[in-house]
Amino acid sequence: MTPDPRDNGKEGELTSVLDVSMPANSNAIAATADTITETLGQLGVPEEKQLEIQLAVQEALANAVVHGCKNDSSKQVRCRVKRNAACAIVITITDPGPGFSPSYLPDPRSAQQLQEGHGRGVFLIRQLMDEVSFESGGNQITMWKY
Amino acid sequence: MDINVRKRADVELIQLRGQLRLGEAVDELRKVIEESLGNGDARLVLNLAEVPMIDSSGIGLLVRFLASTKQRGGSLKLVQPSKFAVQTLRLVGVLNLFEIFDNDDAAVASFA
Repeated sequence: MTPDPRDNGKEGELTSVLDVSMPANSNAIAATADTITETLGQLGVPEEKQLEIQLAVQEALANAVVHGCKNDSSKQVRCRVKRNAACAIVITITDPGPGFSPSYLPDPRSAQQLQEGHGRGVFLIRQLMDEVSFESGGNQITMWKY
Repeated sequence: MDINVRKRADVELIQLRGQLRLGEAVDELRKVIEESLGNGDARLVLNLAEVPMIDSSGIGLLVRFLASTKQRGGSLKLVQPSKFAVQTLRLVGVLNLFEIFDNDDAAVASFA
């Protein structure tokens, strides 16, 4: 029986490649996202995949800063990047906020939401990454890219 | 993000270079477009040829200003969005809201 390549991509021990914290300031997001992208480049992750991961990270950091920390730059957002031997990437972003319920987010493609100026971040993350989960009541997101 | 604004045939041509994302980039572009609208210029062309990525705050900005320009009888038209930017706009369902052109001349001429 052929193994599911998605499961295969997740197998194996994870190695930490980056563990950084940043102040909850929207102007700090770009630098952190860029640092992660540079790390992915050093790991040999293809450019197209780097862009998808970078955008997902950008969105997750923005949610942590804006919603989790209410733009309070005295608070910290932590970002951890790990990989396994098959070069699957797992990124975990944690904020100290109260969390939220991701299951109640409206579809941004619906007629009511299409012209809105916000509400697309989590949807994009789910589209761009292979597996996404929320933990600790929603103040931690873990994203896999195989 | 570098932003260069020119006027051609009563159309504001806004050239961007860099990632369009939350923070300084989105804030700067918002100021530029608000200034254009404040000056009565609602016919805008946004050249995205050198914008590899647009995040959800950038998309929100484009969607809101598309509506603002249309309310004033103009529009916000896009030129040469990157493959990934097109993919992102399509993913969230807003790609078809925008008119997209291969070059500045065609976008400017479309307002005539």
